[in-house]
Amino acid sequence: MAWKWIELFTGSLDQKKRYRRYKARIDALPEPYGTAASAFQRYFMYYGGIVDGETSLSMLGDFADLWERAAADATPVRAIVGDDPVEFAEAFAQAYTGKRWIDKERERLIVAIDRAAGGQE
Amino acid sequence: MGKQMTEMLKGTLEGIVLASLSGRPAYGYEITSWLRDQGFADIAEGTVYALLIRLEQKLLVDVEKVPSEKGPPRKVYTLNAEGLEYLDEFWRTWGFLADRLAHLHQGGK
Repeated sequence: MAWKWIELFTGSLDQKKRYRRYKARIDALPEPYGTAASAFQRYFMYYGGIVDGETSLSMLGDFADLWERAAADATPVRAIVGDDPVEFAEAFAQAYTGKRWIDKERERLIVAIDRAAGGQE
Repeated sequence: MGKQMTEMLKGTLEGIVLASLSGRPAYGYEITSWLRDQGFADIAEGTVYALLIRLEQKLLVDVEKVPSEKGPPRKVYTLNAEGLEYLDEFWRTWGFLADRLAHLHQGGK
């Protein structure tokens, strides 16, 4: 399951180390925070779409901060994620503006429509 | 929270959070509880957290890490000049929308 994440970090040893450190922080969370955080992390792997390692690492770091804070304050899981965990996960992931695989296609669409519309001007 | 409420809040939450920072710097939990006091009872802490990260990425807030007694350091957010400008524009846009909607509500008279 973790291979997709690891694959992101094959570029740099430093990034690999940082990834392991964040992973360890998530693994060290007390229950039920550990279970909740791991469930989100799994979802991020599938939803993610963030291609570069630096962005993924900063996201993981912030995510670990969030759950460590919640655990320290004993904030209920529901008060953190709200009624709709999918909504929360996607809003969280979207805050990171790393390069997404869709960016290239977006560019292509914009250029194609510029061309099509340009003929009418 | 009703579905319609959630949808409408989505478009305005950035402005709401920036507005909550216009008085003084604050960390995530303070902002969430302030919003709850203001009547946004069901707002999730994670939603505000994700939003603060977005504001940080857009450089509308400055962030300072302050050590806390237990747990990781707290990130304290301060509205900066760009954030203030964004907030001004938010209120102008909001004023325009509220005015147009009130007009529609009265049957376009």
